[in-house]
Amino acid sequence: MLAYAARRLLVSLALVWVVATLVFMVIHIIPGDPAELLLAQGGVAPDPWLVTDLREKLGLDQPLMTQYWTYLGGLAQGNFGYSLLDDHSVADEIALRLPRTLELVGAAALIALLFGLPLGVLAALRAGEALDRLLSSLAALALSVPVFVVGTLIILVLAQNLRLVPAGGYIAFATDPLRHLGLLLMPAITIAVGLGAVVLRVTRGSVLEVLERDHVRAAQARGVSVAAIIRRHVVRNALTPVVTVVALHLGALLGGTVLVEFVFNWPGVSGYLVRSVESRDYPEVMGIVLVISSIFVLLNFLVDLLYAVIDPRVRHG
Amino acid sequence: MRRDKLRRLALPASLLGAILLLALAAPVLPLGNPVSQDINHRLAGISAGHWLGQDEYGRDVLTRLIWGARVSLSVAVSATVIATIVGTLLGILGGYFRGMVEIGTVRMAEIVLCFPPMLLALLVVTLLGPGAGTLIFTLAILFTPTFARVAYAETLSVRALDYVTAQEALGARSGRILLRTLLPNIAPPLIVQFSLTIAAAMLLESGLSFLGLGVVPPDPSWGLMIRGARTTMEQAPLLLLWPCLALTGTVLVLNLFCDRLRNALDPGTGGRSRPGFLRRLAVLAGAAEQPAAVPGLLAVRKLTLEVQGPTGPVPVVRDVNITVAPGETLAVVGESGSGKTLTGLAVMGLLPAAVRVTAGQILYTGRDGRTRDLLRLPERALRALRGRDLSMVFQDPASSLNPLLRIDAHLGEALRAHGQRQGIAARVVELLRNVGLPDPESRARSYPHELSGGQRQRVMIAAAIANHPRLLLADEPTTALDVTVQAQILDLLAGLKRSEEGMGMVFVTHNLAVVAEIADRVAVMYAGEVVEEGPVAEVFAAPRHPYTAALIASTPEGDAERLTSIPGRVPQAWAMPEGCRFAPRCEHARAICDQSAPALESPAPGRTTRCLRWKELA
Repeated sequence: MLAYAARRLLVSLALVWVVATLVFMVIHIIPGDPAELLLAQGGVAPDPWLVTDLREKLGLDQPLMTQYWTYLGGLAQGNFGYSLLDDHSVADEIALRLPRTLELVGAAALIALLFGLPLGVLAALRAGEALDRLLSSLAALALSVPVFVVGTLIILVLAQNLRLVPAGGYIAFATDPLRHLGLLLMPAITIAVGLGAVVLRVTRGSVLEVLERDHVRAAQARGVSVAAIIRRHVVRNALTPVVTVVALHLGALLGGTVLVEFVFNWPGVSGYLVRSVESRDYPEVMGIVLVISSIFVLLNFLVDLLYAVIDPRVRHG
Repeated sequence: MRRDKLRRLALPASLLGAILLLALAAPVLPLGNPVSQDINHRLAGISAGHWLGQDEYGRDVLTRLIWGARVSLSVAVSATVIATIVGTLLGILGGYFRGMVEIGTVRMAEIVLCFPPMLLALLVVTLLGPGAGTLIFTLAILFTPTFARVAYAETLSVRALDYVTAQEALGARSGRILLRTLLPNIAPPLIVQFSLTIAAAMLLESGLSFLGLGVVPPDPSWGLMIRGARTTMEQAPLLLLWPCLALTGTVLVLNLFCDRLRNALDPGTGGRSRPGFLRRLAVLAGAAEQPAAVPGLLAVRKLTLEVQGPTGPVPVVRDVNITVAPGETLAVVGESGSGKTLTGLAVMGLLPAAVRVTAGQILYTGRDGRTRDLLRLPERALRALRGRDLSMVFQDPASSLNPLLRIDAHLGEALRAHGQRQGIAARVVELLRNVGLPDPESRARSYPHELSGGQRQRVMIAAAIANHPRLLLADEPTTALDVTVQAQILDLLAGLKRSEEGMGMVFVTHNLAVVAEIADRVAVMYAGEVVEEGPVAEVFAAPRHPYTAALIASTPEGDAERLTSIPGRVPQAWAMPEGCRFAPRCEHARAICDQSAPALESPAPGRTTRCLRWKELA
């Protein structure tokens, strides 16, 4: 188990390095002078003086390898560079906002699993019946509604028309735990709508597949009750693909929160990202993309570990 | 089946067509200018000139909605077309040349997948600035790896096809052959992927536009319209609704189209049937009246099973009679497809959902001396018998054990299912020892994959006898095992017959040598019927059915001096001969054999045969 974990960790670290290198390369791969590109406004050539200044600020005037080593050295010390606008440390800003985003994603995943898993199992057990058709249609609908539409409509109905909840915002947990959770709920539900539909679909398919397996019939031949068969022989065996898909989607969600945080004014790392993209503050964008992509990679590492917990064959394999 | 699938495709396809047509026809429709403002009538409601009202700049909402479809769709479609072409090319090149080329194409493209898609899009937008061109470029990059993967996988599978490999071995230039074979194969998955990608691209495009980082105002885009309407949603909530509906509706139609398209392209039946075990579909209607008590343990009477075929119900087991007395072992032999396994599953009430019982009785006399008809027993009552009175050992021990559960969990649940609560751990070890598993204490804590095939089958047998069943059904329990292990398992089963007093056994096999070794009586099945039954020694010495005789003659371990094979093959279930089912392959067949189905006759006490001419042939 330990050797397995160590092996997976090494692969993940290598991937993080690849991601870091790529983020560094992007600015150089795109044709044209990066400094000019960043300063260009609607096709108007930027002031050459400003270009030189920016080039110096980003270290673009130095040889490529020097830039690369400075960059990697900085990363190793937790230095992600400084904002072009106000010289703030990018790392500090991320450290402040990242936990809020992770909290949002975590809450969304929890809600999605809470509803998606049991409903998916239910749909599979009632496959072909009215309940299954209803659940599957709802899932198809949920998958087709863009996340920002869900958020906007929730605000329109619940906050605007019914005045049940505030339209968004953020209050620190330490200040007022209840209101903090209240404000967390809406954006989390918004994300959970699509994610829950994914979980439902994957669970349904996976359970249907497991139900056909020989060991389920063998358990039946031993006289085990239907409830126990579903619990012990079906759901657990059906979990592996669900874990994979949820993890993949969580990774994508780390980017997808951009829209939800924007809609609900949730001051996570994504709002910061949008602001940085708008002001084309490249060091900020680089830092955020790097951090989120690394979390994405590490998430996949955790999933690999989870496999080993679910399936003993992986541990020894 | 296929026409049905195509019909289901018609609705989303025509809706999709309508949306595309509307977007294409936008310039010629009697619409206003989508960007011309009318500030005096900002947020005006629905009127004759403006069917959906006017937005925050007084622009006509319907016009912008239709023009928005044009913008959103053209961005999504152009990006998808680029991604399809580039991705497919990369995939084919990588799959064809492999090696370094593969790394340079497919693997390079896959690096994109390291990033969450929205983030990568934002990264590119930062560098290039917002706009439709940037959007198309970004989306194309994002979706290229998916197409590369599809094309790569298909290329590899086509390369592995026998005739392509053969051509290569002959030194032929395989590039052209490859392409000719590849293109038809690759088209269906690419078409599905293409429409899926358009939906995904629309979602990303609208999301970026919604953030103000996609399509640049004043161009209409559904994402931008939602963004604009958000600021005025207190005064004009409807403005928010239209673009939301348009966007969701279009994506929904696209997704639906993909689902149905995939179904239509899939050669399989599509749509799995409901899992059978949750409700006993096989249970026969009719009052559960107390059947007359029968001697012995099990009596299957006139059992007939049907499968729903493409042209109607097909009988797979017809008029089968078998009996088992306490302590007796009945072997059921026959070629695969003769219905012997289905008969066994019918006794357990574990028939697959597709198989239906249409007639017959399965009479079982329990410990209490009462006789029940298992076919008419409610599932609850039957479950109480399964694993306690009736047990089954399956063919493949590897797949019959749950890979995620330890050995003791499998045995423990068999005990718990029938009320045992205490001393389970000790009983599990005892059971494992009884079936000859070495080191039972540590084996109990093992996972199935840590055991050998023979050991796994021992575990299955241990679970089957955990509650001292009165009837053990063994369905080809040695077929999946090594020859050396087979003998050990047979010895174990033979030993069990001695230790488990009064236990009857039904041993399903196609191996006559095994029958001679283990069984007291034998039932020979052919094409869904029992053609001969009787004591093993008598049947083997003097078979009363030509099929039995032919079977014995074709067995190397048999007494035959010259090994013969039976000509022809078992008839298909939907094309059964009218008369004797074996007649087309029988060397003794006469005209009469083709005319009427032979009835069951008794050539000697305790023996039956289904041959019209057994007297002449005896």
